[in-house]
Amino acid sequence: MSNPPLIAIVDDDEAVREAIADLLQVEGFATRTFDGAAAFLAAREDASFHCLISDVRMPEMDGLQLQQTLRARGSDLPMIFITSSEGTTRRPQAMEDGAIAWFTKPVADKELLGVLHAACAGDPRLSSDK
Amino acid sequence: MSAKSLLPADPAVWNGEPLVPRFGDPAHAATDPISTAWWALDISAVRAAIIAAARSSVPVSWIENVFDKILVADVDQNNVHLVGPYAGREQMIGRRITDYWPRESWPVFADLLLATVASHPPGDNRIRHCTSIAFEDCVMGMSAEEGFPDLVFVSVGGRISDPRSLWTVRASEQRYRTLIHYLPVALLQVDSRAMVPIFEDLRCSGVTDIGAHLDANPELALHSRDIVRVTDANLKLLQMIGAEHVDQLIGAVDFVFAASPETATRVITAHFEGRRSYTEVMKLRTFDGRLRDVELYVTYPTPPERLDITILSLEDITERLRTAAQLRELQADYSRAARISMLGELATSIAHEVNQPLSAIVTNAETSLRWLSRPELNLDKIRQLTTRIAGSGRHASEIVQRIRGMAAPRAPERRALDINEVAEEALLFVRHETDSRAISLSTSLAPHLPQVLGDRIQLQQVIVNLILNAAQAIGGQMDRRIELCTALDEDGCVTFAVHDSGPGIAPGNLDKIFGSFFTTKEEGMGIGLAICQSIVSAHGGTITAANHPAGGAIFRVSLPATARLDFSSAGKPAGRR
Repeated sequence: MSNPPLIAIVDDDEAVREAIADLLQVEGFATRTFDGAAAFLAAREDASFHCLISDVRMPEMDGLQLQQTLRARGSDLPMIFITSSEGTTRRPQAMEDGAIAWFTKPVADKELLGVLHAACAGDPRLSSDK
Repeated sequence: MSAKSLLPADPAVWNGEPLVPRFGDPAHAATDPISTAWWALDISAVRAAIIAAARSSVPVSWIENVFDKILVADVDQNNVHLVGPYAGREQMIGRRITDYWPRESWPVFADLLLATVASHPPGDNRIRHCTSIAFEDCVMGMSAEEGFPDLVFVSVGGRISDPRSLWTVRASEQRYRTLIHYLPVALLQVDSRAMVPIFEDLRCSGVTDIGAHLDANPELALHSRDIVRVTDANLKLLQMIGAEHVDQLIGAVDFVFAASPETATRVITAHFEGRRSYTEVMKLRTFDGRLRDVELYVTYPTPPERLDITILSLEDITERLRTAAQLRELQADYSRAARISMLGELATSIAHEVNQPLSAIVTNAETSLRWLSRPELNLDKIRQLTTRIAGSGRHASEIVQRIRGMAAPRAPERRALDINEVAEEALLFVRHETDSRAISLSTSLAPHLPQVLGDRIQLQQVIVNLILNAAQAIGGQMDRRIELCTALDEDGCVTFAVHDSGPGIAPGNLDKIFGSFFTTKEEGMGIGLAICQSIVSAHGGTITAANHPAGGAIFRVSLPATARLDFSSAGKPAGRR
């Protein structure tokens, strides 16, 4: 794959976002990490990503607020939520707003990669590359 | 020696009534019933010597050599008032007359003994004039009676220039005597004059550090405990030591120091150094074998006071110490219970915080396995992942340690602490909580603060409690801010304050907000602020609640700075603040 899918990872915990980035890299994904929703939004590169993996619970702006903001901007970037301890109370809202998956940490690697592959397979930008 | 053995055994001659006064006897004709002091003296040990002296040509003064064998058999109340100790008549009985009789009266007394006991010279009258500080025209009379072969009876009296003054002095002495006897403070009167020549010898031989000398010569302290004598004690002391009668205490002061020999060394040292008083807390072994905690207060005599009176006051503080220890234990239990309750409130945050590094570990391990399953090993990548796994593992362990430190039962400590460090550590507990509530938590920590003396965990607990309280108070607000500030106030106290952007405290609640079980929240026990106050008081500080002029509530804690750093901060330029 000359142009690997580019995945954004938003998590305020450095160890977690580096770990996910490494996992995706070994499977051939390109990644960019952001330490919070604000940093991601400030980059204004939503369109260049094929998928966004975000933590739910973060200071200042949480993952669901990030989702709202992106939708308000008109972005249809597929979002995967990874949460540490919220349980599943906010999951229905996230899914209703178009999230493609909701995982609880520690995330099962096979499932995460499976969802990512599926999301990217449906991306016209990538299928045109093939 | 028991006083009773001096009294006639035959009840027919002595029916237990006092032996003096004896008005009506011609030998006491000159006596004044109001002022005269009466003695009954046991001369059994010296009778033979007096008779021998009367028959030989030795000077009358030779008899003075045996005066210390003449014992007091009885005294009247006037006598007790004139020369007696606190415990009065009971205690005077059985003592040597040399303990009481002024030396200037000895020649007259010797003369009367010859006349009374040996009828020498024959037919001599038994009334003498003598000098006295108590009476003008002082008269001493002596008589004997057949029924009491071992006794002589002595009257000492005279004209009082102003009877009212004597009565006033007597009444006041009696009042003080009674007062001292029934004083609720245990008092021991000690004669430490025997130490004076020892101290003089030591000074002559160049000893200046008596403490070192006593350490090198432990027998000196033991000897001192033997030669320093108890001469009197009041009722409270008898009760404290478990004695029935003051006679049990008269003698070596040794028993006071039996359970605390080092105390004796320090009491001797203070005496040697010429101090006015000395105090310390010591252990006292009572006569019935109990061990008590006692606060000893020694007052040494200073000229022109009578040098034979050193006063030891003893206060039994066993119960007080026990209560204080129980209180400390309760406070520790109470604050720990509150910490656990506090950790319960933080459970979600804690779970989140611990789960983060664990999650990173799992993902890194799975990534590592994927690299390992490749035909070509990328050792650099695997090394990097393994290093990260170890780092996250350590991080998780640190979080667990921190929580355990907060939850474990432990005795409170007193250490010099930097309040800014305490505050920063406390923030680690609440950071996730405030983040999850989208609260902006800011700090403003003053540099170069003096240290405070306290328990790190308990002070963290106060800060965490105040921040949690603030976080709950601002729950529904749009503007969600908490600020933690540390500072040095104008009194030199170290303060920290938690200011929130919440609705503030209802004025009617300001004065009861620190009460146990006071809460305006539905969840929570309402012990958070009460425990904060309990901890701050135990640290000698204060906590106040107020509404900030700019809005929101502000809780301010003020703690005394440690003395050492007080000094360094006092050296700062005055215009700095």
